Amino acid sequence: MKYNRLRPARGLLYLFLVLVLIIMLIPFIWLLISSLRPNADLFHEPFAIPKTLSFDNFKAVMQSHPMVRYFFNTVIAAALATFITIVSAAAASYALLNRFRSKGLWVSVFTMCLFVPTNAFMVPYYVMINKIGLYDSILGIALVYAGVNLPMSLMVISGYMLTIPGELLESAKIDGASVSQAFRRIILPISKPGIVTACVFIVINSWNELLFANLLNQSDASRTIQVAIRSFLTTFEANYAYAFAAMVISIVPTIIVYALLTDRIIGGMTAGAVKG
Amino acid sequence: MKRRQRALYLAPAAILILAFFVFPLCYLIFISFYQWNGLGAKTFVGLNNFRYVFSDPVFQTALKNTIVWLAAALLLHIPFGLLLALLLNRKPQGWKFMRVMYFIPNVISTTAVAFLWYFIYHADVGLLNNLLRSVGLENLTHAWLNSIETALISNMVPFALYVGLTMIIFMTQLSTVPKELAEAAKVDGATDLQIDLKVYLPMLKPAVITNIMLNLAFCLRTFEYPFLMTGGGPANSTMNLSLYIYKEMVGSNRYGISMVAGLVTIMLGLVIMIAVNFMQRERGKRREI
Repeated sequence: MKYNRLRPARGLLYLFLVLVLIIMLIPFIWLLISSLRPNADLFHEPFAIPKTLSFDNFKAVMQSHPMVRYFFNTVIAAALATFITIVSAAAASYALLNRFRSKGLWVSVFTMCLFVPTNAFMVPYYVMINKIGLYDSILGIALVYAGVNLPMSLMVISGYMLTIPGELLESAKIDGASVSQAFRRIILPISKPGIVTACVFIVINSWNELLFANLLNQSDASRTIQVAIRSFLTTFEANYAYAFAAMVISIVPTIIVYALLTDRIIGGMTAGAVKG
Repeated sequence: MKRRQRALYLAPAAILILAFFVFPLCYLIFISFYQWNGLGAKTFVGLNNFRYVFSDPVFQTALKNTIVWLAAALLLHIPFGLLLALLLNRKPQGWKFMRVMYFIPNVISTTAVAFLWYFIYHADVGLLNNLLRSVGLENLTHAWLNSIETALISNMVPFALYVGLTMIIFMTQLSTVPKELAEAAKVDGATDLQIDLKVYLPMLKPAVITNIMLNLAFCLRTFEYPFLMTGGGPANSTMNLSLYIYKEMVGSNRYGISMVAGLVTIMLGLVIMIAVNFMQRERGKRREI
């Protein structure tokens, strides 16, 4: 009897969850299919079941634009930003494992930065990067990414390091390990899950960032994939099919990263974020 | 760890924080008193930039719309994420798969999502109008992004819909609730709904606060949706603070004005942070009792 009572509720629950899933993902599936169709078809019967699919749009986009270049620019910016941020965040988190007088001040400064809307700093960042001669360079964009991603990385990595039992550091000290040895041989290897989570987030954030990349870019030399996508809408006003293909190109890498690291992202994301 | 070593380990992070948070803030505060086009000399104008900004109707719209975005986070985005988390927490078959799928939009760039929805709303080739036409609701079709009544709401729909991160944060907290609590309630004859409301919901306060903080911070930074979908139009009806900062700087070369708007955005963030911290402290007090 209990079985009968529960059944319709379960059915409704499923219906709702699947409906939400469809509404969320249909746009992306539509994007994927549209990117494989000629532009003319899109205008005449945008909603119809396509008769032919081809990679022509992708070929055309790759030929008319240095997409590979944009791709590499973005990869390098993301890699540089990740390296700078992770080194800084891991070292600082290690220092914060110790007790010292100004520790509370550091922690609150880092936490406050987490909630600073960095978009407000458009002018200062632009002026700073210009002053040090890094306007229109990948390094300039990477530095800004390193800065804006630091508070989040600190939260994740520091949150993870705090779960390491204190005895471990104590015993390393007793065994005669130096400060840097304890950091490199003990703390870093144990913190790997937290560090990987932070890495994934910086990479995805950097890959997806538009505002600062757009602000600090002038030529192909430093154009990232998102800035390129944005320029597509203006260049290809009439050719939506090309724009769709370019968008798919920009999305695929993050989907691959996500597919490979699903558990790490979903499980590790909230390390330190939800402390009860 | 000796003092010098500690300084060494803290130095890289400290330098980044100084360079990208402390210095820019000081810069905003000092240069916002100057009129500057970004290239030439800066002219001291006292409080003129502030007077201009606060009497600018476009800025007022931007501020109002940013607050509407914050409200959308509190009233739509977070409750929807909570609902999905509670439903998946009932562990229906395939819940892990759904959790993974719900999160996909969160790893896709806002740029792509904004463009995609721009095409969805497109009056002629858009998915939405075509869907309405195909089910015979021809008269409901609309130039969604081109009319003042619907533009702002259309801007917010993707944000309200893609709740993956918010949901995951709720689910992480839900997984820390001891199973015995729900089981005991079940034995006592509580329904699933009662268990959600009376057992799980009260335990979720830390996650609620985390989500409020994260989403409000996100809304203050929202740029791509209005920038790419409507460019702030029609008639500035979708303008928000980030876009105002950008347009004053890049579009009008009025750096001083742009920085005043930046300062207001930071102050808004500060007020929110203090308010949420206050809520958190209240919660702590109650727990002590």
